[in-house]
Amino acid sequence: MNSQSRDNTLKHYSTQPKLFFVVCFCLLFFLFISAMPSKTGGKMQESKPTLPKTVGLWTRPDAPQLVTAENIFDYMDGAGELYIGYRFDHLESYEYKAQTQENILVEVYFMKTSDDAFGLLSLDWGGEPIEFAGEPGDFAKSRKANSAAENSSWPRALYGEGLLRLWSDTIYARIMASQETTESKEAVLALGRSIVKERRNPPAPSLLKKLPDSFPANWILSKDEASYFRSHLVLNSIYYLGQENMLDLDLSSEAVTARYERKDSKGKKRIRFLLVRYPDNQIAHQAFAYFHKVYLPEHSLPLQSGSSGEMSNVFHIEDGWLGYKFQGNTIAFIFECPDQETARTIIDQT
Amino acid sequence: MPHKGKSLTRRDFIRGTLGATVGTSLIGTKWLKASGNAAGSSLVAVVRDKGAMDASNNVNPSVLKTMLDQTLIKLTGKDSTKDAWLSLVKPIDTIGLVPTPHLNPTHQEVVDAVKSSLIEAGIPENKILNAQGGPDKPKACTALIGLPALKAHWLTGIGTVMKLYILYSGRPSNYHDENNAKLGEIWNLPFVKDKTRLVLVDALHPLYDKGPQVNPMYKWAYNGLIAGTDPVAVDTVSLRIITGKRKELKGEPWPLSPPPLCVEAADKVYGLGTSNWDNIKLEISGWKEGLLLG
Repeated sequence: MNSQSRDNTLKHYSTQPKLFFVVCFCLLFFLFISAMPSKTGGKMQESKPTLPKTVGLWTRPDAPQLVTAENIFDYMDGAGELYIGYRFDHLESYEYKAQTQENILVEVYFMKTSDDAFGLLSLDWGGEPIEFAGEPGDFAKSRKANSAAENSSWPRALYGEGLLRLWSDTIYARIMASQETTESKEAVLALGRSIVKERRNPPAPSLLKKLPDSFPANWILSKDEASYFRSHLVLNSIYYLGQENMLDLDLSSEAVTARYERKDSKGKKRIRFLLVRYPDNQIAHQAFAYFHKVYLPEHSLPLQSGSSGEMSNVFHIEDGWLGYKFQGNTIAFIFECPDQETARTIIDQT
Repeated sequence: MPHKGKSLTRRDFIRGTLGATVGTSLIGTKWLKASGNAAGSSLVAVVRDKGAMDASNNVNPSVLKTMLDQTLIKLTGKDSTKDAWLSLVKPIDTIGLVPTPHLNPTHQEVVDAVKSSLIEAGIPENKILNAQGGPDKPKACTALIGLPALKAHWLTGIGTVMKLYILYSGRPSNYHDENNAKLGEIWNLPFVKDKTRLVLVDALHPLYDKGPQVNPMYKWAYNGLIAGTDPVAVDTVSLRIITGKRKELKGEPWPLSPPPLCVEAADKVYGLGTSNWDNIKLEISGWKEGLLLG
């Protein structure tokens, strides 16, 4: 081997370790980068809540019962449809036991988005609002004062007669004592705190902002009857429209509904507002046409107007005046209006 | 979205054309429909005792036994509990007890009371089975005694009598969506039909909203048993109690949503009994406060 080739050989072998370290560094760098949250909107890896092994008199098993979409009906029969109707990921269930008291069942529903966890809580605003970790607990005040439906005024936890229900980012949880006692209430609330601890508090679904505090004239939002959902089964449990999924709701769509009330000399009247948002205009239009066919078969689909393709109309049906407005990827409905003017005024405002 | 023919909507419900529309919308089950609707009136016994549960909602077994005895005698018109049972079932029967298994389940005390009472009436213990579950359960029985718990249900309005046999279908999730009005067809399955000798509703601690998952805020101590041989009539009375409680709380009508179509369909399509209040005769006994059947 001549000196030059020896030098080349030496250079080759002397650069090998350097190359190795460079490759390792690059690999580690890329691994580090991929583990970081994306600044463009990707979801941060969320921490899973750690439930205490023992709380008060109660102790849980080491591992939860794991329930997925595949076996949720085995776990809870038809109640499972409720969770499937939202973007459900899985459920972890623990039964805490105590020697001298009844069990406490903890069900932690892991949903795919915070909106879905909120939606589950929104199906029932009954109970005492509970504040965890210094959050504002002024839901009762805001409901009475009919203040704006701001994100911060939605309660994140509700308690009543042994049951705590809460929304914590992508988690919806039910913690229920079989029998309410002073000790069980303390334990239930402690378990709630452990679930929400160090979790984010995203705002309520943006679609809720489309619920005005009032409609003219003097129709006031009943905030404790405002719900967020994606499923026609859930809609029917709130406001029955029909057996079929006539609005073509699925996990890609989202909807809000609420009642509005007005008191006058003739007593209290109520109307129902419903707003559905679809992934795109075409799907929305198909759903709108199908609803018309199923629910208003005696009326023709209106012509589209304007460059936005907006369609709106009002009809007198069995339970009052119905109004709708189809625009872009949303459809707004108002049901049970006492007169045509009310329906038209409201639907024009949406 | 293929349109499937006439579909039940809210408008049918308000128009009062539900009965006709239910029949035409429930396609594909002709062989499971009734050949004729049930005629005549149906007797439903309602027995209540304020002491059936204590302040912590623990059941008092001795009070419950007395209530059960009264219920059977009132319903059958017999002089003794034994004679009452023997007018409904025979010692040669294999009797399946069908409780609500979970999510506001039937009180175990009710199941135990019925079983004990049957044994006292001379039914061999080994002829009394738990018949809640898949299709193999009713196939093993010659007689069924339904023991549902009274509760509202978010999918069907009420989840008490008509929903009791859903597992017998072998495909319960098929009845969760628009087919929930078809629950009555399960009662007409060959291995179920005509086996139900008694329906006894556990109305001790009913759930009036947001069922089947329990929210204790929506339960109350009705302390009652509701019984009949006409399952639709029993469900109709149960429904009246639930809606009565809701109205009492709100101070105005508070209808169930969705409406309990399965009850009316059980009458008008499947001929399982009567949902017409005028055709139901009530035999009421015991504690009258909060009866909700006025």
